[in-house]
Amino acid sequence: MKTRRGWFIAACLLPGLAMYLLFKVYPAVQVFQKSLYLWTGVADKPKFIGLQNFRDMFHDDAFLLSVRNTGLLMLVVPVVTLLIALVNASILTQSKLRERGFYRTVFFFPSILSFVVIAILWSFIYHPTMGFVNSGLEMLGLGDWALPWLGDQRTVLWALAVTLVWQAAGYYMVMYMAGIDSISPDLYEAASIDGATAFQKFFHITVPMLWEIIRVTIIFSINGVLTISFVLVAVMTAGGPDRHSEVVMTYLYGQAFTNSNFGYAMAIGVFIFVVSILLAFISNRLTQRGSH
Amino acid sequence: MSPKKWLTAVGASALAVSMLAGCGSNGNDGNGNANGAASPSAGASSNASASASADASASPSAAGAKTFENTELNIAVFQGGYGREYWDRIAEDFMKDYPGTKINITASPKIAELVRPKAVAGNPPDFLYMAGGDNVPFLNGLIKDNALLDLTDLFNEPAADGGAPLKDKILPGVLESRAMSPYGDGKVYLAPYNFGVLGFWYNKDLVDKKGIELPKTWDDFFAANATAKENGRALFTYQGLYPGYLEQIIVPSIYSYGGQEALDQFFNYDPQFWKSETFKKVWGILERIATDDNALMKGTVALNHTQAQTSFLQGKAMFIPNGTWFEDEMKDAPREDGFQFGFLGVPSGQAGQPPLAMTNVEQIAIPAKAKNPELAKEFLRYLYSDKSVQLNAETSKGVLAVKGAPDLGKAFLSETTYNVYKAVDGGMVAVNGTFKAVAKGSKYNPSDEVYKPISSIMNKQMTIEQYGDKLFKIYEDIQKELKASGGE
Repeated sequence: MKTRRGWFIAACLLPGLAMYLLFKVYPAVQVFQKSLYLWTGVADKPKFIGLQNFRDMFHDDAFLLSVRNTGLLMLVVPVVTLLIALVNASILTQSKLRERGFYRTVFFFPSILSFVVIAILWSFIYHPTMGFVNSGLEMLGLGDWALPWLGDQRTVLWALAVTLVWQAAGYYMVMYMAGIDSISPDLYEAASIDGATAFQKFFHITVPMLWEIIRVTIIFSINGVLTISFVLVAVMTAGGPDRHSEVVMTYLYGQAFTNSNFGYAMAIGVFIFVVSILLAFISNRLTQRGSH
Repeated sequence: MSPKKWLTAVGASALAVSMLAGCGSNGNDGNGNANGAASPSAGASSNASASASADASASPSAAGAKTFENTELNIAVFQGGYGREYWDRIAEDFMKDYPGTKINITASPKIAELVRPKAVAGNPPDFLYMAGGDNVPFLNGLIKDNALLDLTDLFNEPAADGGAPLKDKILPGVLESRAMSPYGDGKVYLAPYNFGVLGFWYNKDLVDKKGIELPKTWDDFFAANATAKENGRALFTYQGLYPGYLEQIIVPSIYSYGGQEALDQFFNYDPQFWKSETFKKVWGILERIATDDNALMKGTVALNHTQAQTSFLQGKAMFIPNGTWFEDEMKDAPREDGFQFGFLGVPSGQAGQPPLAMTNVEQIAIPAKAKNPELAKEFLRYLYSDKSVQLNAETSKGVLAVKGAPDLGKAFLSETTYNVYKAVDGGMVAVNGTFKAVAKGSKYNPSDEVYKPISSIMNKQMTIEQYGDKLFKIYEDIQKELKASGGE
């Protein structure tokens, strides 16, 4: 009886497992394997070249620049995004704002838009003459501060960072709000009675109680930078000016689909994989200590 | 929508006079009736039909009696600005003229993505028309892999509707160009399709009304800055995020200042090019556009092609570089009152020299592993018939790289488009060329390396000396890689 049920369960799981192996695991293994080949990805047979692709990576200035740009975004964007999300969530749950629902919707709104729509929207916001940012500055009498934000190599990366933060902050805010809602109101009440300020409640109740959620969102957010920056860069800047907004994913795409260097692109893919695992591991370790 | 960076497509280095010269000389005085073809239908090989077409001015169906073992043809075509109607209709005509054959068409703006898995599996379509920035790299991959069918014989054989070799119908220089003969061994691996002319555009309405004199040389061009300012606009803008469009200025200017020799240095990675006077003069134009007051439209570097082109149509800038597809691409965009497209070409380096324009030709290929190369070749031959050239103009508003094509299609082309092609006929120097293929597996994409850093010149964060040094090193690297891969 018991074994028959086991067989039945196995039979039900098997097709799914087979699909998973075929379409998820096998291609992933292939990426590792093909990263050792010189392969145009068009018609020719791949040629084994060992670790040459990986060696090349560290002599490829354009690749290193894209790593630097991605690194900067990964360093700054998650911190800013999560801080804004946390503070907003805390304000919207703690204060007795009547427009709570309204703000929740407004902040969450970017999360339901497609990344491409966001990219197009922001490329108009940054439009050097008609854009919201520059005309806003002019209206405030700060016309001298107006810059072609996406056309200047000193500002382009940070202009993208603002878009990344805007896109994601609302999503994490809603996650935090759900988390805060599950914190017992007694705690806040007791703290109020003891005369705690809003600041103290934030640092001594909200943050520690949410810590597990925060840990997860840090990893989510770092990964989000990696994937969303691809779309933003592809639509808003094409990596320009002069590669100053090139990110690892757009560089990978270019090597694969414009330069027909699939072997090299896969080596970059392996690099990204290893780095993401490392980052997840590191952030996990760092935040774990804080939870005690 | 990806920008139309037709970077790889190409034509001759001087098509000028010959463009329309062949127009009346096809010996095919407009009959092309199917009836005339009924006679030679017996044991037709391509030679038989050729001799038949020599006496009866043949229609495409003269070859209709040819038999093919495999009668099914799979073609994959790019569906972009030119649409797909042409392919649907020409395939229908072909199937009528060659009874028993069947053509399956796959069309998509991202045709390379659809074809790639099949090509990797060794089962490519029989016929490829790949254009558009996303698809051309795939074709380049096939070239790098030596995976294309040699078409030299086809062009030596008679045309579908004439006894003369097919190559005589094609615009001079096109088949010999690197775009069609990528290995430089005189063998043709790619067949020409639509022909494009690229250069400066302006608002004809404004120029006519105000009696503005159009610049003939670069000195005139910069002198026109005052006129531009009077009319409340910048002198120049371009498709900022995609500096590759500046190719349309750079390539003709290299030719204008340094001749074919300099152009060969540039396209064949001779590092010395970046130390030459020609380099300094050509990139000096860009630097001057970047630094002269009012010369470059504010914010240009940050704009994508649609935004920059719209600003131009709205009268924010006097000149913009673009190709013959411009008018059609922007047909729904807002513009200033009375705007009319005017094509100027590119100013020349010295007074007295005619204006220049860059030209390019889209490519068609038959994969070496095609299942049905014979029928694919026959279909390709059919595309160059007068009937097809006309149909192409009617349905796609395109002009095939065939002698007399603009006049064959005149009834269907806009006045501006027709005039652009005529301008090339009327003494404008047509310049072309394309980068030599880099070594397999090279990280360098030459056009990216050359054009992307121009953004930094345009926003004044790099001098042309720094730029020249950078490119000198890159060209040396590319040479080293080529040597290394050749030695293997």
